Formats: sequence, structure tokens, C-alpha cells
Amino acid sequence: MTTQIQHRNKAKAWQEKFNATAPKVGELAPDFELKDVDGQNPIRLSSFQNTKPVALIFGSYT
Amino acid sequence: MSLREIYAQYHEQVQFLVIYIREAHPVDGWWFGKGLPKVMLKASRSKVAFDVYDPKTIEERRSVAARCEDALEYRINTYIDEIDDAVNNAYAAHPTRLYLVGMDGRVAYAGGLGPFGFKPAEFKSAIEEYLRVLEGKAA
Repeated sequence: MTTQIQHRNKAKAWQEKFNATAPKVGELAPDFELKDVDGQNPIRLSSFQNTKPVALIFGSYT
Repeated sequence: MSLREIYAQYHEQVQFLVIYIREAHPVDGWWFGKGLPKVMLKASRSKVAFDVYDPKTIEERRSVAARCEDALEYRINTYIDEIDDAVNNAYAAHPTRLYLVGMDGRVAYAGGLGPFGFKPAEFKSAIEEYLRVLEGKAA
């Protein structure tokens, strides 16, 4: 149980730290380039500028 | 309102990207694999996994992301954050988060931190509003 509390506290501390600098409405979205599940087909966020709005869905499997 | 429904409705006008980031509740972390946490998580996310360890390499991360992509059946391409968590950190995305980035490269919608701030219906409204304004400018 103690370990679980430590993990929870670590997650909360991370959220507090990075949420403070997360982009807000009206701010430039941080650009990135990432690859797919095969390590192929790199995609860059800024490549959609002036073309399409982009919906970003962040998550994991757990 | 599910993300799958939002994607089905708007995928021709909006580019959807699923970004797989560091695991939220891996076996070797803040695990929700037993008791009440498991019941609650299973109720809110029926396809959630409870047997995943936190990937330590990009290859492991890609492998888990592929399982996740298959299980969730969003039919949206999944892109994998690097093992340094750079994109996750930049967007404060852990454990889940939704953003809409406008055609000008600026954030048009910034959802709250999951799970409580993860609100697909609010996201859908933001997409609708953004497209409505865009169409108004084009008219």
C-alpha cells in the first residue's frame, strides 16, 4: 500500500509540475514529430498548419 | 459521446492523432489491477489492460501501443511518444488529455487532466465551434 501511495504522489507531483506549463488556449501548440507503432511513417504536427485542425488524443493502455 | 463517434463524424475535416504516452497504471507503478480501483477503472474504460508493465524501451513502448491500438479499435493512427516523454511533458498529457490545435498552430481547446478532466462531449463541442467559425470566415 505504501508503494502505491508513493506512485500516486509521484504522479500528482508530475502533474502539478508539467500542468503549469501546458499550452493554454490561444498559445502555440508545441511542435513534435512522432512515428507509428512500427517505428515508421513519421508525422509532424506543424505539417497540418494552414491545412487542417488537429485533434490530439493522449492516452495509454492502462 | 465516445471518441470513436467524434472521429466518425469529423475525420474528414479534422486530422485525428492518437498519441500513446507513458502508461498510467502499469503493474510496476500506480497499479489499479485489484479491488475497488479495478472495478472503477473497468467501469469507465471497458478495454483497459491490467497486465501491462511500464515500457522501458521504445521497442517495448511500440509493442504495447500496438496492443492498445488493436484493442481500442479507434481506427485512428497511433503515434508513439519517445522514451524521454518529451511530447507528454510538453502537453502535460499524463494520464489522458485532449487538445484541439487550430489551423494557425495555436491551441483551440485544451482539455483537463484525465480522468476527471477528460470530457469527450466538451471536446466535440469545441470541434463543432471551431469548424463553425471556420466556415463563417470562408463564407
